[in-house]
Amino acid sequence: MTDQLLELLTTYGLPALFGAMVLAAAGLPFPSSLTLIAMGSFVAQGELSFWPVVLSGAGGAVLGDQIGYAFGRYGGRPLLAAVTTRIGGADKVAQAETYSRKWAGWGIFFSRWLIGPLGPWINVTSGLTQYPWGWFILLDVAGELLWLLIYVSLGRQFSDQVQTVASLLGNLTWVVVGLLAAGFLGWKLFGKRKAEVTSEVTV
Amino acid sequence: MTRDRMWRRLLIAMFVAVVAFTGYHAARTVSDAIYWNAHRDEPIKRWMTIGYVAHSYHVPPHVLHRALNLPPAPDRRPLGRIAQDTGQTMTQIDGKLTYAIVHARPPYPPPAPPSRSSPPTSAKP
Repeated sequence: MTDQLLELLTTYGLPALFGAMVLAAAGLPFPSSLTLIAMGSFVAQGELSFWPVVLSGAGGAVLGDQIGYAFGRYGGRPLLAAVTTRIGGADKVAQAETYSRKWAGWGIFFSRWLIGPLGPWINVTSGLTQYPWGWFILLDVAGELLWLLIYVSLGRQFSDQVQTVASLLGNLTWVVVGLLAAGFLGWKLFGKRKAEVTSEVTV
Repeated sequence: MTRDRMWRRLLIAMFVAVVAFTGYHAARTVSDAIYWNAHRDEPIKRWMTIGYVAHSYHVPPHVLHRALNLPPAPDRRPLGRIAQDTGQTMTQIDGKLTYAIVHARPPYPPPAPPSRSSPPTSAKP
């Protein structure tokens, strides 16, 4: 499946790259990092040029991210409102929104290039919590450009070992995601324990 | 209280799962790095072009063009498309390319031994 998709990219070049990036950013499972590294390799071999690859890839990704954002804002939000009016929990949602506003900026920026698998989710939650669109697109463009620059450059540099480099980066990304999740859960566990201890002391 | 305890147990279970997941991917990252460092050959896939295979395996492209009975002019089609156009399977393409690569690489033909003059042994494709 992956190979067939990549075959389309090799055949149709930049327009296919743009389309693939739109779909990947909107959340469809697509081997986008392998694609970008392969594109970098084709740049190294002189079959494609660096900047057109970077710009069409980033352009597609930014467009795909807007789809996720719009889905959260115009599709998810009314749905959430309907659910909260029926079963309650509006205060919890408001709490989540404040939390999200505080951290979403970092999340948007880093999920573009460092923790890519979280990207599509963060797009939707950004829309859902009405994160300001101006800021969203600014951080989005910066992050996606950085992603394209890093991955295409790596592909260009290590152009003869595309699959190995892509696999390494993929695993490394999951390590980063895992460490973040472990850190968060650990903090929750320790925080809880501390809170319990202090409450016991005060009682 | 029991609810708190359950919640805590769930958190611990999630924490353990996440740590295991992270460890697994860390191990795979290390193995990829070793693989990369050893610079082993990557399997030939249908999305690759002849140019990419030649580049990755460090052989001149014309060797691969000849192996597939194609003119030596640059061919940007992916191998999957070449297979389709020439009525071959990817396995056949892969086999022909691998055979040509093995026979185009430095250890082949093997260098003659300095003292005795024995004919080069034929290696299996």
